[in-house]
Amino acid sequence: MIKRSQRLAALLEMPFTRALIALLVILALGVLFNADGTFFRWDTHRDMLRHISRFGILACGMTIVIIAGGIDLSVGSVLGLTAVVSAKLSIHMGLSAWVAVPLCCLLGIACGALAGALIARFSIQPFIATLALMVFARGAAKFISGGKKISQGVETPEGFQYLDFPQLYEFLNAKILGDNVAVVTLVFLLCVGVSWLLLARLRPGRHLYAIGGNESAALLSGVPVGMAKVLAYAMSGLFASLAGICQAAQETQGDPEAGVSYELTAIAIVVIGGTSLSGGRGGILLTLLGTLTIGYLEKILSINAVGEAGRLMLTGAIIVSAVLFQRGRK
Amino acid sequence: MRKPIATLVAVVLTAGVAVLAGCSKSAPEAAAPAESGAPSAPEKKTFVIGMSQCNLGEPWRVQMNKDIEEAAKAHDTLKVVFKDAQNDTLVQQNHVREFMNQGADLLIISPREAAPLTGPVAEAYKKGIPVIVLDRALLGEDFTMFIGADNRLIGEAAGKWVREKLNGQGKIVELMGLQTSVPGHDRHDGFVKGLGDAAIETIFSADMKWLQPDAQREMESALARFPKIDLVYGHNDPGAYGAYLAAKAAGREKEMLFVGIDGLPHEGRVYVEKGILSVTFEYPTGGREAVEYALKILAGEQVPRNVVLPSRFFTPENLAAGGELIGGSDAPAAAAP
Repeated sequence: MIKRSQRLAALLEMPFTRALIALLVILALGVLFNADGTFFRWDTHRDMLRHISRFGILACGMTIVIIAGGIDLSVGSVLGLTAVVSAKLSIHMGLSAWVAVPLCCLLGIACGALAGALIARFSIQPFIATLALMVFARGAAKFISGGKKISQGVETPEGFQYLDFPQLYEFLNAKILGDNVAVVTLVFLLCVGVSWLLLARLRPGRHLYAIGGNESAALLSGVPVGMAKVLAYAMSGLFASLAGICQAAQETQGDPEAGVSYELTAIAIVVIGGTSLSGGRGGILLTLLGTLTIGYLEKILSINAVGEAGRLMLTGAIIVSAVLFQRGRK
Repeated sequence: MRKPIATLVAVVLTAGVAVLAGCSKSAPEAAAPAESGAPSAPEKKTFVIGMSQCNLGEPWRVQMNKDIEEAAKAHDTLKVVFKDAQNDTLVQQNHVREFMNQGADLLIISPREAAPLTGPVAEAYKKGIPVIVLDRALLGEDFTMFIGADNRLIGEAAGKWVREKLNGQGKIVELMGLQTSVPGHDRHDGFVKGLGDAAIETIFSADMKWLQPDAQREMESALARFPKIDLVYGHNDPGAYGAYLAAKAAGREKEMLFVGIDGLPHEGRVYVEKGILSVTFEYPTGGREAVEYALKILAGEQVPRNVVLPSRFFTPENLAAGGELIGGSDAPAAAAP
């Protein structure tokens, strides 16, 4: 009897259980305020998953960086930059997905690796380095797009011409498995899988935990700290570029303003999941739960048509409660 | 460690200088006519117009600058220098002072906020520099003229159009720009007035912050909740387009009509041409008119204090003819049914 209660207490101490409870509380809210039964229909859940996927993808990269004791403020801007570049390549230049997607991914990796190199090689603080990249990438997005959305309509002297909608975007926008799951959600789950593999199964992942826990100790025990950091930011850049492609597909255009303040949502998702902002502790499954929590919160507020003021206050209150709840364990 | 840092700094500085050199090509010419003083100088002089835009992040404002640029291109006596305040009021205050110091002959300003910019603009105006205020008015009297459109009238025209199109009854969704913004309020209030006593019920309304992805999400909720929607009124075209994308994803885009506002050539009018929106109501930028009035002011002519820009609406039927004026009475060639 004692043993069982101890085991239950130990279970409750786990961050995963805490994150799950937070999600269940939000789901209970959804059941309570179900907007005439809307909450019980699968479309609602499918659309929620589709909408939150881009944020979830960003949060995967953010989790990796935060576990290594860093932060990446540039993800929103890199998303905007790759959305523009992706639209340029796919819509305007009509390149096939096999060329356009790798090019965009390379761009994202290059952005991330640049930030990582500045942090590892020149010891610039992650906050500053990624802040600089955030500003720079937004500028690059505006420069490449000329301040306009990159869409199918192209202005010519004789009026507007319409280009074909790229197959890649068609594919990303599609729903599969009998119209039940959006393709972007699968991209998100794929990112979760890759991140999980890296963090929980591969050696560089263990290095990242070590660096986030105690950097000098990691360095002294022979962990290649610099390389691991570059890897972390490069992964974050890669995920940001994937999210950027999804963004362009869902918007059917590349908007240079896309992704403004998305980095804050990504950080909120990671923290609500229970990954520690001070580094060294956390995991990708926590982020998956955090993504669902934020996604359902937004959806429930939306189907009930709660006003903007109420939404902002409720979201703030729930983020604080969730984090306090996570911290409640010893 | 030393060397790489030095290299990095050198690279960054070189790049910075290159970018600045690229941007400032026009600066020396712009500053040149400073010494010649008063705008009433004889013909053949080049006039420098300083244009301060509050935020080039919005496509509508990009269009405003483009309209000014194109209108000014036709006159080789005009030279326009553009500045972007990037949504920062204090930066825009500096623009006014910079233009004053550089000896601009006339200022066009599309202010971010009224109160903080009233002072600097008054200062320039009192020094004898004419000021044209675009889109958002300033306080007081110390500027030459104001040019802007009326969101309330445009919203009302949209309401009347919807009332007529739906034969006075139906269920609609309203995707609002931002309830806390003046344009959002005006486009809503005008719309309600335009609907009048018709049996048209707004079954779902939400804030989409003028953003297409947010409009898409809100529309998904509306679609999930309501089995029948007759029309979606978006406070801007990206909002209406986001709603269309959501409806299309649900296979319900044929069931309803989509109405937007702004009518930019590369945005709303393209959506109308493709049959996505049933109508878009132009919110004119006033860029072209600003240049026309600037020419008059520089030539010493009298101009009105306050100009309300006429607005057009675009449907698939009248698009080719260049739209139709709202109110309809003095519509140009497009008046035929």
